[in-house]
Amino acid sequence: MPLPQTMTEKILARASGQASVTPGQEITARPDFVISYDFPGYTDVFFKETREDFGVEKVSSPERFVLFIDHMVPATSPKEEELHKITRAWGKEQGVPVHEREGIGHQVSAELGYATPGAFAVHFDGHVSQLGAFGTFAFGARKGVVEAFATENITLTVPATIKVELTGTMQAGVMARDVFHHMVRVMGPASCRFKVVELCGPVIDAMSIEGRQVLCGQAMFLGATTMLIAPDAKTLDHAKGRSRIALAPVYPDADAVYERVVRIDISELEPIVVVPPSPANTRNLTDYTGLEVHTGYLGSCASGRLEDLRIAAQVLRGRHIQPGFQLHVVPTSKAIMAAAAREGLIETLVEAGAFISSPSCDYCFGRIATMSDGQRAVSTGTLNTPGRMGSVDSEIYICNAAVVAASALEGRIADPRPYLAAALAQPVGAAA
Amino acid sequence: MSLNNLQGRVAWVFEEDDYDIDLIVGVRNIKITDVKELAALAMSDYTPGFAATVRPGDLLVGGENFGYGHPHYPAMRAMRHLGISAVIAESFSPGFFRGEMSMGFPLVTCPGIRAAAARGDELTVNWATSEVSNLRSGQTLALQAFSASERGMLEAGGLIPFLKHRMAKAQAPTAAVPQST
Repeated sequence: MPLPQTMTEKILARASGQASVTPGQEITARPDFVISYDFPGYTDVFFKETREDFGVEKVSSPERFVLFIDHMVPATSPKEEELHKITRAWGKEQGVPVHEREGIGHQVSAELGYATPGAFAVHFDGHVSQLGAFGTFAFGARKGVVEAFATENITLTVPATIKVELTGTMQAGVMARDVFHHMVRVMGPASCRFKVVELCGPVIDAMSIEGRQVLCGQAMFLGATTMLIAPDAKTLDHAKGRSRIALAPVYPDADAVYERVVRIDISELEPIVVVPPSPANTRNLTDYTGLEVHTGYLGSCASGRLEDLRIAAQVLRGRHIQPGFQLHVVPTSKAIMAAAAREGLIETLVEAGAFISSPSCDYCFGRIATMSDGQRAVSTGTLNTPGRMGSVDSEIYICNAAVVAASALEGRIADPRPYLAAALAQPVGAAA
Repeated sequence: MSLNNLQGRVAWVFEEDDYDIDLIVGVRNIKITDVKELAALAMSDYTPGFAATVRPGDLLVGGENFGYGHPHYPAMRAMRHLGISAVIAESFSPGFFRGEMSMGFPLVTCPGIRAAAARGDELTVNWATSEVSNLRSGQTLALQAFSASERGMLEAGGLIPFLKHRMAKAQAPTAAVPQST
């Protein structure tokens, strides 16, 4: 009888050519995909080290590699454009695709089939964990990704798995973003350090793929190495025709061994806000409504997908944001932006006063739409570290897309639920 | 290869849990790659003239889940340039831990250290006895041992030399086989 295994153990066993692996065991595994975006001090250095330190002229099996240009898009200095040139040239020379201006790589990876259920993917950036929404084991190895550039493999310690079962149903106005930050509140920001979270339960079953991407993508803020969800009809359907390699989807064994099992009922959960200075600070939204805010950001790899744009449009339809408020809406990918345009969402958002940009990571780290001293933002970005979106004396309140939209209308942190209830009571188009 | 024991003063105690290391140079500066520029910026949001107070071998002390957030490299590059030889914390965030250990920079997990160390205290880290000692107070705490590859990475001076060494070792027996066979 083979040992009962979690999803992580099965995926890592296959990738390391073993029948089974156990938590704590150090393995050398062959990533099915090696994913990166270009950023100074990362890819440029990896390219150089691969050639100069290891004498590797060509990466092994370049079809496993993919590069994204999603930060510093568009460039604002010759130095930034120079970095992109290095990336394009390396991709061309190595036979590695470079996807530029197609959206944030973690989302585009899923659109392009790198989120193959059962696959093992590495990146240097931890938000790649969102491929876990499709049953892919994807983790951010930081500098460790160099090993995958220079050799065929990467060395890692098999993480133990914590199973988190989300029960109950989500209330109106509550989104995946709220669920994730509630998990941080209940479990703690260090609760899953060096572990993998396997998510399941009725809330996950009912949740959209987009919502699952949101949850898995934020794994690092629970301290987790990554997070994943067993594939179901929804994700298998998404993978069909997209998956880049033929792999049987992987499911956990019924008697798999978990480090612990956590059950969280989210029926009572209401929208949250994560207050500065850290993603560890989840609070009830209603404790902060009324606080004056000056800018809003709806976008990032953690939000900015169709359901986020739809709910924002629902709140904003037929209304106008506060004069002087800066609302930046940045769809996560080109495909999402085009779909939003076809649905008329872009028109609704623009008419309400939103400033809409093509996909870019740059709003999330204050490279553009930079705040100055004393300003406050509501944001669906990944982080609320002081200075993340400009001055260290500005503040970031993380919340869901509907909260960003409602706050833009009032110029204060606002509860979107009355707007959503009004939108439901009114047939679409009536308010226009 | 062996790992040298550490001895140095505590250059700073980061009291808070879940500390985001980007705050050391300021998030606005994380795209800067010039290490001298970064070193000059280090801690400027906390205290003026920090750089001048650091002596080679000095240490940083942190709380639980140190390195939470996005663990960009500029902060510790700056600290190493100033002479900081390690961070000793209650615990580390995994992304930060992986990234900095890959740079050959020791991140020492030592429960109890935050309460046991103040700025200016002289500490020693003894790898053989797995202990951190505070020479001022005389207190000694146990540190969490590294895995074999973590230790190998530190001994080699980082991931790159460690991998090169490992690859050379793997190739060595093949090279020793006579051509005639």
